[in-house]
Amino acid sequence: MYTQTDKRCDLASLVANVGEGDCVAIGGGLSWREPMAALRELVRQNIGGLKLVGSAHGIDVDLLCGAGAVALSAESYVGFEQDFGMAPNYRRACESGAVAVRDSCCYTLVQQLRAAIAGLSFMPIRSVRGTGFMQLHPDYKTMLCPYTGEELVVVPPLQPDVAILHAHYGDAHGNLHIEGPPVADILFAKAAKKVIATVERVVPTERLMDIGVTIPYFYVTALAEVPYGAHPTACYPFYAYDRRHTAEYHRCASEGAEAFRDLYLQPYVYGCPSHAEYLEAIGGAEALQRLASWQQGSDAWRDLYA
Amino acid sequence: MRDRSTPTACTLGEAMITQIASTIEDGIVAFHGFGSPLVQLALHLAKRTHALNLVLVAGATYGVNPTPPFLTPTTNDWVMNRGAECHLDIEELFDLAASGRVGRMFLSGLQIDRWGNMNVTRLGQERLQLKLPGGGGGCNLSCDVRYVTIWTTAHRAPPDPKGRRRFRLVEDCDFITSVGHRTAEGKTRSEMRYRGRGPDSIVTELGVFDFDESGHARLAALYPDVDVAEVRANTGFEFPMRADLGPVPLPTPEMVEFIRSLDPLRIHERELRPEERARSFALA
Repeated sequence: MYTQTDKRCDLASLVANVGEGDCVAIGGGLSWREPMAALRELVRQNIGGLKLVGSAHGIDVDLLCGAGAVALSAESYVGFEQDFGMAPNYRRACESGAVAVRDSCCYTLVQQLRAAIAGLSFMPIRSVRGTGFMQLHPDYKTMLCPYTGEELVVVPPLQPDVAILHAHYGDAHGNLHIEGPPVADILFAKAAKKVIATVERVVPTERLMDIGVTIPYFYVTALAEVPYGAHPTACYPFYAYDRRHTAEYHRCASEGAEAFRDLYLQPYVYGCPSHAEYLEAIGGAEALQRLASWQQGSDAWRDLYA
Repeated sequence: MRDRSTPTACTLGEAMITQIASTIEDGIVAFHGFGSPLVQLALHLAKRTHALNLVLVAGATYGVNPTPPFLTPTTNDWVMNRGAECHLDIEELFDLAASGRVGRMFLSGLQIDRWGNMNVTRLGQERLQLKLPGGGGGCNLSCDVRYVTIWTTAHRAPPDPKGRRRFRLVEDCDFITSVGHRTAEGKTRSEMRYRGRGPDSIVTELGVFDFDESGHARLAALYPDVDVAEVRANTGFEFPMRADLGPVPLPTPEMVEFIRSLDPLRIHERELRPEERARSFALA
C-alpha cells in the first residue's frame, strides 16, 4: 500500500522506480494513451533487460525493442495495424534472438492478472488447449474440474514488478482518472508491485472526486505531471494520435537498427534530455495545436489521418 | 431511373465486406477486434441492413453500438467509439465469450489450414524465420465464441521465380494461434469440449468456403472473375466443393454507398494487394 500524502515527482525520479530486468506492464493500447514520455526516459536512463507483458501494443513496445531495452516479450500483439503494418524493431529483436518470444493472449493475461489481484495461486480457463501457447508456456498446466470433470487450463498469477501508465488526471495523493477506454490499466494497477504514472494534469483531490477515481491512490507509487506524455499516441480529449510523427518513426525503424538509432533515437530520445525539448523537436506548439484540431469537427478530425 | 451517383459496380473489397456481413446473425453479440477494417465495415453494414439488433462491440475501445463518422487506420481511437451506448472492460468482453454469450468473432491468419486452425504468431517451426504481430485475443476467442468468420485478403499465392508458392491456405500451420475444427493431434472440437462451434466460413479474395460435417473447408462460392482451377492452384490443400457452388452474392448499390460513406479514406483497401484493389464487379 502506498499511502504517502504527496507522491508527485519529476519524470526522471518517476522512472527510476523501474529496475534492470523488471517485469513491466505498459498501460494503454495500440495508438491510445501509451506512456511514451516515461518510456523515452527509461531509454535515456539505460534501464534494460525488461520483460514486457500486455495485450495489444505498438510503438511503445517497438521503441523499447529498438533501444535494446527488452529481454522478453509476452505481449499478445505488437504492430501498427493497417496503418503501417508490422513493428520493425520488435520483429528484428525477436528474430535475432535478442528478445525471447513468449506471446500471450488477452484473456489468458486477464486471468493471470486476476489471480495476482485475488492472491490466488492460479486461475482456470477453458480455452488455450489445442493451441501452440501450451508449448510456448510450460507454466500453463491442465487440471480436471472437481465439479464437472472437465479438463481446464490453469495459469499462474502474474504480478508485474511495475506498471507504467499515462492518465488524464491525477492528484498529489496518487488517485488517477482515465477518460475513455482503460484497456488493461486497472488490472495492471491492481496486480503490479509498483505503479508509476505520468498524467496530463495534476488537479486537487476535490476535482478528482467530482469526475471519479479510476485507480485509487494506494495502488500508485509515484506520479509526474507530463502534459503530452502519450505523444505520439493519442490522449483524447487533449490530443489525437500523431499519424505524421508515427509515419516518420516507422520509416526510421524500417531502415534498420542502426538507422533507427541515428534517425530516431538520437534526435527524439537521447538528444532530448527533457520532455519539453522533445515537444520542441516534434514541432512545438504548432504541431500540438494541430493534434487538438480534432475537436473542430469530423472534417478536421479526418484530415489528421489523410 | 437511377441517380447518376448510384454505384453500378462494386469493388472486390466491397464484395468481401458484404460477404463477411452476411455471416452475422441478428441479435447476437459480435466483436471485431483490431487491425481488421473489412470486418469493422461488415459489422456496421450488417447492423444497418439485416442485423438491426446486433450488439456491435468495437475492438480495442470495447464501445457498444458506436456510430463512427469515418473509419481510421488505427482501432483504439475515439473516432471509432463515437456514439457508443456504453463500453465494456477488457475482462467483461472476454468473460462474455468464456461464458458462451458472444455469438461471433472474426479472425485471420498468415497461415490457415483445412480445419480452420490459424497462425499469426510466427513462421518457421524449429527456427523463428518471421515474427508475426501476434493474435491478440484470438486464441481464447477461437475456443469460446459460438462461431468464427475467417477472412483473408491474400489467398492468392503467386509462384516465385523458381515456381514455388508460399500458400496462405496451407497444409500445416507452423504454430497454432487460434483453433479450428481439429487440433494438430486430430482431436475434434467436441472432444476438446470447447464452448464454441468453430469457424463456419472463410471469406477470401478468390471465393468463400464453408465447412463440411467433418469440419473440413469446402468451396462454396466464387467471385465472378475466378474459377475453381484458380482456387485449387492457390490453395495448399485439396478441398471438396458444395454441389450448389455458385457466384458470391454481390451487394446492393445502397450497401456500396453505405460502405463508401463510412470509409471515405478507403482504409479497408490497405488490406488488399494493389492488383486486387483494381478488381470490380458490375451490379445487377
